[in-house]
Amino acid sequence: MSEKPRVGVYVCHCGINIAATVNVEEVVEFASRLPGVTVVRNYAYMCSDPGQQLVREDIENENLNRIVVASCSPRMHEITFRRTLQDAGLNPYYLEMANIREHCSWVHPDSEEATPKAKKLVSAAVSKARMLEPLEEKEVDSERTAMVIGGGIAGIQSALDIADAGYQVYLVEKSPSVGGRMAQLDKTFPTLDCSACIMTPKMVDVANHPNIELMTYSEVEEVNGFIGNFEVKVRKKARYVDIDKCNGCGECADNCRVKNRIPNEFDANVGKRSAIYLPFPQAVPAKFTVDPDHCLYLTKGKCGKGPKCQEVCGTGAIDFEQQDEEVEVKVGAIIVATGFDTFDPSNKPEYGYQDYPNVITGLEMERLVAASGPTGGELLIGEGENARKPKKVAFIQCVGSRDASVGNEYCSRVCCMYTAKQAHLIKEKVPDAEVTVYYMDVRAFGKGFEEFYDRVRREGIRYVRGNPSEIFKKDDKLIVKVEDTLTATPREDEADLVVLAVGLEPRQDARGVIDLLRLSQTSDRFFMEAHPKLYPVDTSTDGVFLAGCAQGPKDIPDTVAQAKGAAASAMIPLSRGKVKVEAQTAEVNEATCRGCGFCTEVCPYSAIELKTINWFGHEVNVAEVNEALCKGCGTCSAACLSNSIQPRSFRDSQIMPQIAALGVKS
Amino acid sequence: MVDLETIRKKAKEIVSREDVKHLIGWRKGTFGYRVTPYWVEAPEDAEELVYSPLCNTNLATYLTLAEKLPLPKGQEPDRRKTALLVRGCDSRAVVQLLTERGVDREQVVLLGLPCRGVVDLRKLKDSYPEDNEVADAEWKEDKIVLNVSGEKKEIPREEVLDDHCLVCRYPNPVEADETLGEKVEPWAEESHPGVEELENASFDKRWDFWEKEFERCIRCYACRNACPMCYCEDCILDRLNPTWIYRSNNYSENTAFHIARAFHLVGRCVSCGACERVCPAGIPLGKINQKLVKEVREKYEFEPGTDPEGVPFQASYNPQDQEDFIL
Amino acid sequence: MSEQFEPNIVAFLCNWCSYAGADLAGTSRTHYPANLKVIRVMCTGRINPLFVLNALQQGADGVLVSGCHPGDCHYMEGNMYARRRFRLMKDLLEYLGVDSRRFHMSWVSASEGGKWKEVVEKVVDEVSEIGPFEQFKREKINW
Repeated sequence: MSEKPRVGVYVCHCGINIAATVNVEEVVEFASRLPGVTVVRNYAYMCSDPGQQLVREDIENENLNRIVVASCSPRMHEITFRRTLQDAGLNPYYLEMANIREHCSWVHPDSEEATPKAKKLVSAAVSKARMLEPLEEKEVDSERTAMVIGGGIAGIQSALDIADAGYQVYLVEKSPSVGGRMAQLDKTFPTLDCSACIMTPKMVDVANHPNIELMTYSEVEEVNGFIGNFEVKVRKKARYVDIDKCNGCGECADNCRVKNRIPNEFDANVGKRSAIYLPFPQAVPAKFTVDPDHCLYLTKGKCGKGPKCQEVCGTGAIDFEQQDEEVEVKVGAIIVATGFDTFDPSNKPEYGYQDYPNVITGLEMERLVAASGPTGGELLIGEGENARKPKKVAFIQCVGSRDASVGNEYCSRVCCMYTAKQAHLIKEKVPDAEVTVYYMDVRAFGKGFEEFYDRVRREGIRYVRGNPSEIFKKDDKLIVKVEDTLTATPREDEADLVVLAVGLEPRQDARGVIDLLRLSQTSDRFFMEAHPKLYPVDTSTDGVFLAGCAQGPKDIPDTVAQAKGAAASAMIPLSRGKVKVEAQTAEVNEATCRGCGFCTEVCPYSAIELKTINWFGHEVNVAEVNEALCKGCGTCSAACLSNSIQPRSFRDSQIMPQIAALGVKS
Repeated sequence: MVDLETIRKKAKEIVSREDVKHLIGWRKGTFGYRVTPYWVEAPEDAEELVYSPLCNTNLATYLTLAEKLPLPKGQEPDRRKTALLVRGCDSRAVVQLLTERGVDREQVVLLGLPCRGVVDLRKLKDSYPEDNEVADAEWKEDKIVLNVSGEKKEIPREEVLDDHCLVCRYPNPVEADETLGEKVEPWAEESHPGVEELENASFDKRWDFWEKEFERCIRCYACRNACPMCYCEDCILDRLNPTWIYRSNNYSENTAFHIARAFHLVGRCVSCGACERVCPAGIPLGKINQKLVKEVREKYEFEPGTDPEGVPFQASYNPQDQEDFIL
Repeated sequence: MSEQFEPNIVAFLCNWCSYAGADLAGTSRTHYPANLKVIRVMCTGRINPLFVLNALQQGADGVLVSGCHPGDCHYMEGNMYARRRFRLMKDLLEYLGVDSRRFHMSWVSASEGGKWKEVVEKVVDEVSEIGPFEQFKREKINW
């Protein structure tokens, strides 16, 4: 700063808000004697147009280069006055405000106390103003493409919205088909829509949309860069099937030497598939995939005299020489829609999930009632000749939710309703079945939920309030041991089939996504949103958004709403084509920086890295700030032992004069 | 313990290596109990190395004090390694420097030596004043054997050992390329010298104590120079823009200087005691730094200089950190 | 320690929580003593503990640092680092004989206008009891 500061001080009356308790004339007189102050004015309403005009005129006529406005809180009008400076041709960061209203006139009714304090606050503001520097709000170009990680309903919806708006989207899905959890469901509550029926059109849209590049059986390996400029590496795993040649006829799976011997993940491991498989009939893309962990040829190097699938394939689509493919794309925004896993009830051994085949999870039940599932929708339990429809079905709520002993204190939000739905479906398929739901509370909070719950009870499904302590076998029957808390009676109820309404948990492989994108977790281990109320789809990394159950348990309508919200937020940088970068970022003094890395370690945004520079022939490490990522919090500065890294506008040289001014005993 | 000939032989070997520039150790000083740091450049120089309870400099300081003078264009920097004799506390200093990238592990060769504590010269000179003859000393179980002009005196360790050494828990090197001699059994458990007394005093008594101490400070900065962890080229306590602490010598600035330096050493001080030993005014600096070492150990379970891969204390936090003091 | 002693207290407030909370106290027209003056920073993580030392040297009788509750920090973790740093700075100052009532730290969120008033009153009360800070106050030299 080679020019001398010429400070203009403007003391606002704010009507009588300030003037009633602060003696404005005294403050004006005091300010006029402060070093560096050229002009002092006072006015009734500084934020009004005539008030701002005073500032604009003085900047021009008096050559002011620093402005102090003593008025309300900067949280109120800092932006207003910055614009005033800008209009007058002065850098907007040459402004400092003294809060003599919220922190002074409004809280100190005695003028003998309020006025000296106001003077001190003005003195501190002038001390800081003298040390301010001009800052530039930079903008960088943004890519006009987005990436959605996860091809469930959340990912699909986000991708469709962004693509419909005209932007290119990369939809990356880890498994061979899109669809996610919703595709595994039979009917959805409370409308009893057929899940596949409402979903498959969207799945097909996503595959055919000109703006969507669908990458199934692919995983994101690395993400670098920042909002508007993410560089993403995606690994497209080898299917060992040429998808251009495969016509989905299924001969390969029919003739596979390990046909129907491998647990099918899509069927929650209840059903079986071959080593070459289509996850489910409505899979998109409808192309087969070879499972490298179970295929005889790939694991043992030999499949009979030759792979059967290759033999019977009419189009010669099977290619065991296929390799993984790595692609790199640049995107402007990323949406994380990686979904959930269900709670593993093996962690509650008292329910006998591992011991008894007829104790199943809610997801397994879903597959049993589904027409595309292993029982063809007949809801059969038992094998072969013993396969029969269950007559007595028990549902246990809150398995793995609201349970501190397994580390999940939260409520999973969907289980009360999916249990009611499944109970209803059982009654539909087995009208004379006895269905009992053992619950702690029934949460039927959404649109149509309470009505559905009523309906289900009128159909004869019994609700018993109690959390079962144990499930055991007596003779041939399963016994549910529970206390009916409403009547205070202990019971031991018989059941053919026990369904554990398992809660939703973050995915087992969530850690990988967290490390990839520098996400945080909330205490329930789901991904953390930037603010629980006001920014539910943003993360603390600009340009990375959340949609669906990856952020927390929710049902389909909430997921779709959030996915649409995430898409809208993601489109902001895409549509502007530019992203604004914070001006009050940190700056490193390379001469004094000793490259210790403390700042690098503490930065919450990983915005600082160490780089090697040539310092008069020597290679030394110094810190470097990525201005696009830096948010100006200043945590780096307090960690720096040599005070080499400083946040602009909040430097030591700008804070310490304030301390000195406030320390003066008046 | 370790035999001097072994040390000299090993040092010779190391200095003969092409990739090693010099080895830093100690040699006899000019009189009395003086021992001075010594740079062994040529293999023959290794003959002058000594190792005794009088070696009270923390050699790790010199790793970071090496000045990087601007080089003429085209000249390559000297990339040869520096070898260092390290004991417990100085090896911890090196490890701490590693965690904060003050040194590159590839740039140092550490020759580890076991140690049974160094002598506090003030305590020694009280009972055994030094004279012009250069004295020698050696460890002998729980005694220090002083050899002045051929006369040997055996002194109990507790009488003359530095306060820091009396409670040392790391007598063996924690990091070394090679360690000579036999490992020494640690002889202390807990305890930080002199801290409890002040902890139990009232605020007024504490300030009375410290005011008298800081008045004697002459701001020679010997403590800062001797400390291996103080190596900022432009120390903020010296800086003028902005000026944190004025350079004037009065108890206000002196107190602020010591508080600030102690704070910058939080989670970094390895309790070597060099600062206290070099202070010409005899200020018990150990009492300040050890208080913080104790707090960090008890409240945050952290000990600097023990884990070369560790995250520096000042750059970390624990979500469970106590906040009983927060309103 | 006369009854007329009015302490001079410097407070460092983080912009997003405590400063907003203090604003709320103002909007609600709560009344509290005028001894405390605020310096605004973006995050408590910014506050170098040496500022506390500097404030005491330059004429403050007491210092307050106030920020967001853990978990709520606008910049995610700044207040976590601050928590650790100030615990140790407080320990150090007290060990040297600075009365523990001179330095305080608080968590005041943007909605806690009432709490802000309580914090200010408590801090002012406690510092008033001890008297002016003379221990290592910087003397102004009149050249």
